[in-house]
Amino acid sequence: MRLWNRIRFWVSRRRLDRELADEASAHREMIERQLRQEGLSAADARAAALRQFGSDLGAREQSRDEWGFPWLDAALRDARFALRLLRRQPLVTLAAVLTVGLAVGANTAIVSVLETALLNPLGIRDAGKVMVASVRIEKLQMKGSETSAVEYRELQAMTDTFSAVAASEPREWTAEAGGQPSRMLGRGVTPDYFRVFGERPLAGRFFTAEDQESVAVISYDLWQTQFGGDGSAIGKDLVLDSRPYRIVGIAPAGFHVPAGVQAWVPVVFTPRRLHQRGYNMVERVFARLREGVTPAQAAGRVNRYVAALKTSSDLTEMAHLGYFIDLDSFAHFVAGDLRRPLWLLWTAALVVLLVGCANVALLLVSRTAGRRREMAIRLAVGATRGQILRQLTVESALLGALGGGCGIAVAAIVVSLMTRLAIPGKALLELVALDRRLMLYGLAIALACSFLSGIAPAVHLLRSNQAAAMTRAARRRFQDVFLAAEVAAAVVLLVGTGLLLRSLWALEQVRPGFDPSQLATGYVLRPKNDPSFLDRLDRNLRALPGVESAALAYPVPFTGGGLTSGFGIVGREHFQGQPEFHGEAYFVSATYFQTLRIPLLRGRAFADSDTAGAPSVCVVDARFASRFFPGESPIGFKIEMYSGAAEIVGVVGSIHGDALDRDSRPTVYYSMPQISFFPSRAIVLRTSLPGGPLIRQAVKQTNSSVAVFDVRTMEDRIAESLGIRRVLGILVSVFGALCLLLAMVGLHGVVSEIVGERTVEIGVRLALGACPAQILAHFLGYGLTAGGAGLVLGLAGAGWAQQWLAGLLYEVRPFDLPAFAITALAVLGTVLVAVFWPARRAARIDPQRALRYE
Amino acid sequence: MADRPPELLPGTLDMLVLKTLTRGPNHGYGIARHIHRVSGEALSIGEGSLYPALQRLLVAGWVRAEWTASDTGRKVRQYSITAAGRKQLARETGDFDFLMAAISRVMEGA
Repeated sequence: MRLWNRIRFWVSRRRLDRELADEASAHREMIERQLRQEGLSAADARAAALRQFGSDLGAREQSRDEWGFPWLDAALRDARFALRLLRRQPLVTLAAVLTVGLAVGANTAIVSVLETALLNPLGIRDAGKVMVASVRIEKLQMKGSETSAVEYRELQAMTDTFSAVAASEPREWTAEAGGQPSRMLGRGVTPDYFRVFGERPLAGRFFTAEDQESVAVISYDLWQTQFGGDGSAIGKDLVLDSRPYRIVGIAPAGFHVPAGVQAWVPVVFTPRRLHQRGYNMVERVFARLREGVTPAQAAGRVNRYVAALKTSSDLTEMAHLGYFIDLDSFAHFVAGDLRRPLWLLWTAALVVLLVGCANVALLLVSRTAGRRREMAIRLAVGATRGQILRQLTVESALLGALGGGCGIAVAAIVVSLMTRLAIPGKALLELVALDRRLMLYGLAIALACSFLSGIAPAVHLLRSNQAAAMTRAARRRFQDVFLAAEVAAAVVLLVGTGLLLRSLWALEQVRPGFDPSQLATGYVLRPKNDPSFLDRLDRNLRALPGVESAALAYPVPFTGGGLTSGFGIVGREHFQGQPEFHGEAYFVSATYFQTLRIPLLRGRAFADSDTAGAPSVCVVDARFASRFFPGESPIGFKIEMYSGAAEIVGVVGSIHGDALDRDSRPTVYYSMPQISFFPSRAIVLRTSLPGGPLIRQAVKQTNSSVAVFDVRTMEDRIAESLGIRRVLGILVSVFGALCLLLAMVGLHGVVSEIVGERTVEIGVRLALGACPAQILAHFLGYGLTAGGAGLVLGLAGAGWAQQWLAGLLYEVRPFDLPAFAITALAVLGTVLVAVFWPARRAARIDPQRALRYE
Repeated sequence: MADRPPELLPGTLDMLVLKTLTRGPNHGYGIARHIHRVSGEALSIGEGSLYPALQRLLVAGWVRAEWTASDTGRKVRQYSITAAGRKQLARETGDFDFLMAAISRVMEGA
């Protein structure tokens, strides 16, 4: 009641104030009338009434305090004052707001990615409870691999450790949406899949053990786009690959596991699959920890189980190869290779934030110097220290709010750019959004930043009134430390930039082993009821006008690499169990090597005669040949990998199959018509025309119900594989440049200030015969000392910090001389430029005017 | 200013105003005059404290105010006590009696 009245009164305080004035004058009139009745003259009565009543201002002032929130009024007054102050020095304000804004924006953007990828992966509730199982086989250098159904069965039996275990395998369908065939990604999942993630259906139900592969749960997005969010979608059919799946449930809006998936269908394992370890390794196994079980305990439980398995007889071969089941956190699984770059970027953004703080503090301290007089006057006329502190706080808050607003705008731009990046893990980045919590975070760090930078000047101001003599030296020391720190931070980031850019450059020089220019690629899903589709497609592709050469393959390079599998060489059994007995396989049509311009080194390439009925043949790459047939010809030997024994008929050059910074495993090529168990096929065209439309045209002409997807040039695919390095290089260099710019602004400001303060002294020196060059040298020297100290610190810091970069570098040794040297030169040059202008101003001071200055 | 009237005990002004209003609605001048007259001209309420006190009572919801015309036709603000105000008055009177009795006992005993 009281609070409500207060608010009401406060809102209408202007009217109330008028009424009070009115009331006071009525009161005065009444006193006056009374006095006249007692016999005073009109003039005397008026004077007496005025005397008796006094000024009504005091009463009104006090009444006002009763109505409302005096502290709020004061804060508003302070805010208005602070706003005037900020407007009076627009450049300082702009610099401070932009500094805070850029630093906060960078930080908020990176944190929003971190949030989606690592802190709260894919928005899963208590993601810390969800573990992901994968297979590691040490001798095959296989790590993080999908499992077979056996591991799912084994983990599911550990009911003391896991409360729910689920396996899931990839699905890929052609769906008809609006008459246009399109590819849809899905997952085949076991009944407990959603329970592992603690999800409830938005509508309908999830799967039970009784479900066969004829029902589906659809994603919220699919429900919205294809069914308009209509509740009657449940019970309807979803047609995938021309087959109806009855929709039984709708997943909640935030559920995106894995990213990009539109529908889930049940998977039912045959008893044989449940007992064939190492076969059909396509399962992702997720397990939810039982209440009170830690991840380490769960990993221990699984390790003990595997160790026990190895001592029993049925796992001797696996034991020999070093077979393990790894349990990783869900965040580890989601972010994968992005983790290290993300933490690195976050650190870089934090450095920028700290440098920004330091710079704002420098700006404010410089401004404080000019405000000592104002503060002295205010203290003299009765302002309390508390009041001044309050005003400084309001000023900081205002700066923080402005900077925070600016930062959120910057973050929104950066996030929208990031979701469009072309890098592996793109599906994950598309989920990144700047939500309310992250905006609050941005605002909070902006406020923290401005308060932090406001503390030093505030302390300085309040103290300076007591011991004004020591302030200048104290301020100098403060500024020196901050400047050196800023330069050091910039140096660390710039050295990092140098190392990353040099790795990127080195990588771009790597040749992939084929000619990626003028190559268009795309994928199609093979239709189930059209057996001659591939042959007709092959013919149509080659007949396209403007196409130099065309081929079919599965997969094409730079889409995850070839299919990996162990293999045996007939007659070379003594190699068995060696790590390299694990190779990559590609399935290609006869014109593939010619189209990609992979050189044929020995024997022959595939011919049109290598079809389904003909003897199985294969082609191996140079790495395979030199590893297993050093100094002799592999031609004529037989390999058992896919489809029984295939005879080696040729040797081709090695390529980089998935990454320029990694060699592929020994590679085996199969003739595509002889093996055909993959649902999708890649098309490769060598043409000087835009290849995408040609691919679509040829597919449509062959069979109009076939979906085309993932159409890109080979150069784009290679660029994408470097994407994260590019992003990292660009962002770290932007952050480094930002730091350097901030340091430059800071240095310039401080030296200008010193020159301003010492104008008289410099004038005296010049009058006594100092030459301008000495003055110039003096200030340049000051800049170089501060910058040099920062440089030394920064180089030491960079030397220490580069260990965090090591995993991201390619053919760049630690303590890379060019990176360090160029950074040092750039920083020194920048320092000189920043200091030169104020120093020249000092050298040009006119002694006559300087001496009359004060 | 030697013959200045004795100061009020802190907090008693609210009580005096509320008590005055139990006799019926009144304006600021009337309240001040009533207290002055009834106290045998011992208490003179300064306007500088009367109006803030009235605002305080308004905010607390113990009095109500409305603009009316006085007998001379001048627009004045009349205050009247609310139910909550009466309850508050009873509470304050009780506290005051207790306090006065305690003070009297101390003074007599000394």
